Amino acid sequence: MSKANDTSVTGAKIRKTITNIIVHVILAILAFIWVLPIFWVVLTSFRGEKGSYVTTFFPQTYTINNYVKLFKDTTILNFPKMFMNTFVIAIFTCIISTIFVLSVSYCMSRMRFKMRRPFMNIAMILGLFPGFMSMVAVYYILKALNMSEGSMIPVALVVVFSAGTGLGFYVAKGFFDTIPKSLDEAAIIDGATRWKIFTNVTIPLSKPIIVYTILTSFMSPWIDFLFAKVICRADAKYYTVSIGLWKMLEKEYIDNWYTSFAAGAVLVSIPIAILFLMTQKFYVEGMSGAVKG
Amino acid sequence: MKKKVLAVLLASAMVASLVGCGGGQTQEAPAQTEAETTDDAEAPAETTDGADAEAPVNEEEEAITATITVWGPSEDQSADAGNWLPTMCEQFAAQHPNWDLTFEYGVCAEGDAKATVTQDVEGAADVYMLANDNIPELVAANGLAELGGSYLEAVTSTNADSIIASVTYNDSVWAFPFTSNTWFMYYDKSVFTEDDVKSLDAMLEKGKVSFPLSNSWYIQAFYVANGATIFGDGTDEAAGINFGGDNAAAATDYLVDLVANANFINDQDGAGIAGLRDGSVNAIFSGTWDAASVQEALGDNMGVAALPTANIGGSAGQLKSFMGSKAIGVNPNCENMEVAMALAAYLASEEAQMAHYELRNVLPSNTNIVLADDAIATAVTKTMTDTSIMQPVVSSMGNYWSPAENMGKALVAGEITHDNAAEKTEEMNTAMNTDVAQ
Repeated sequence: MSKANDTSVTGAKIRKTITNIIVHVILAILAFIWVLPIFWVVLTSFRGEKGSYVTTFFPQTYTINNYVKLFKDTTILNFPKMFMNTFVIAIFTCIISTIFVLSVSYCMSRMRFKMRRPFMNIAMILGLFPGFMSMVAVYYILKALNMSEGSMIPVALVVVFSAGTGLGFYVAKGFFDTIPKSLDEAAIIDGATRWKIFTNVTIPLSKPIIVYTILTSFMSPWIDFLFAKVICRADAKYYTVSIGLWKMLEKEYIDNWYTSFAAGAVLVSIPIAILFLMTQKFYVEGMSGAVKG
Repeated sequence: MKKKVLAVLLASAMVASLVGCGGGQTQEAPAQTEAETTDDAEAPAETTDGADAEAPVNEEEEAITATITVWGPSEDQSADAGNWLPTMCEQFAAQHPNWDLTFEYGVCAEGDAKATVTQDVEGAADVYMLANDNIPELVAANGLAELGGSYLEAVTSTNADSIIASVTYNDSVWAFPFTSNTWFMYYDKSVFTEDDVKSLDAMLEKGKVSFPLSNSWYIQAFYVANGATIFGDGTDEAAGINFGGDNAAAATDYLVDLVANANFINDQDGAGIAGLRDGSVNAIFSGTWDAASVQEALGDNMGVAALPTANIGGSAGQLKSFMGSKAIGVNPNCENMEVAMALAAYLASEEAQMAHYELRNVLPSNTNIVLADDAIATAVTKTMTDTSIMQPVVSSMGNYWSPAENMGKALVAGEITHDNAAEKTEEMNTAMNTDVAQ
């Protein structure tokens, strides 16, 4: 009896091991495929040979001059300036759009009002349209508001990146829906207002989704090209990094700037990576609070 | 928990305010560099003051106060490259003492003028630099003012016919050309002699040649070499593109052999210039923008020449590149047309072109400037007169690019053989003469 039990246990063990090996091999292959381009960009950013065309995967010589060039060679493409522009825009966008998304999601999840259903449907349908469709319209609206010239351009970009984010409430709303309503009711019995519930009950329990919202909204100014290009037009002072990186690949610049382009791409990922490292522990911590009630 | 959230919020608010300050500082920093650059700008201005003394200083003009927005590529506004654009604008202001002018500069590369200006013509620059192939779209969007009178005279009397034709559209001249825009050949003098570079076939026997076959700005050279025409002489839209028939098929046949030749390398993703650097390529076809890189790669062995001939279908045909130009245009929506026109004319004047050449090696289009010592200038002049056709400035030209590029790509991929060359050439020709918009 016990013997038979043993063999079945080892049999299950072996099967489990085999499954694990297969899974891990597949994961390893996928990880390799995913990491390869990033690895290549990092390698290219340290490549000593100039130009965009190489015959070997690994650079023959290594240098940090590509990074130095980004910060020293600023008269034609002012990368530090673009970096700071984007950074400031990203911070404001991050704060504003996180507040928007969380507020809208909370209302949609907890409040009941007549327009709730229709609003959610409209938001869903609007979300199906790609944002760049409104690109030129957005430009003319900003122009009518006198926001298309000079120092208003960064403000206009913050507005463009954050104003519409409230519509992307679906994920956060789904998360809020999973927080038991009984917690809210208990708080109401204790005399809490809606605002108190939001700040004292819901937010502490929703750290993962807050972190997710912060990360995605912080990233959007770094990766957006179209709106930045349409709004900045010829005002090089207000260019964001994506326009700068795109310029580096133009016919006139590519040969000199290609490796610096890779260096720029690596640098752009640093603020996002730092933010992620700072916030990632909240992903894990988030749900533990609910048990305490 | 509440405290933690508060702390995070406060911390982020602090970071935000810190960054706010940081932003302020960085904004000040460029202001400083701007001040420096204007200092730099004054230096060359002063040195040329002597020459300026003779320049006409017009003191009888009526007083005008105006802010003129000028757009040009960032190199023209870079202190490292001599600050050509601001320097010239200041000199222009100095020549017109009665005009109180303030200049605002924007960055817009010549090739981007079409996209950037047409996005909002009224909000665009008063004077801007453009590539001549942008003219049809810009005219359609009311983004270019037609030249007339003495300005037209100035353009036509100081430029070669092909350059004038390049800024002519619908029988009117739309911009002041200041440089040509074409491609020619760079080669390694240690591999090819001056006789070799007259024939592509001779070159292929002696060394490795790289040509951007999959780029439609280049591939037409072979078809035109064997008699194909594109909009007649380049201005006749009704004539259409004639890239079909036996001539064109023979050119395709030649290209099939060319791709198969071990000494031929398709120049894609910068393969040509990289090859020059490590010695695996001995000749490339490119334009003035690569001059510095080629000089660095080849040093004293750098040779520059107009295009060679190619032995297509039994006879030597002259390869011909597209000749375009870069020019300065005036926005018809600007408030001070008189000032804007005069400024545009000045930026394309002999004096400004000479300064452009000295500061940035931009080859002048003005025929009064002769640069006999400059190998590149000599090659470009020869290309202009002998080995180029005008890049047509007609709106149907838009139908040319994709089919030509597809042909180049198919050739490089080996999809086109001697068996299907004629058929594929006909397909390309049909596609080129089919208006996608209709």
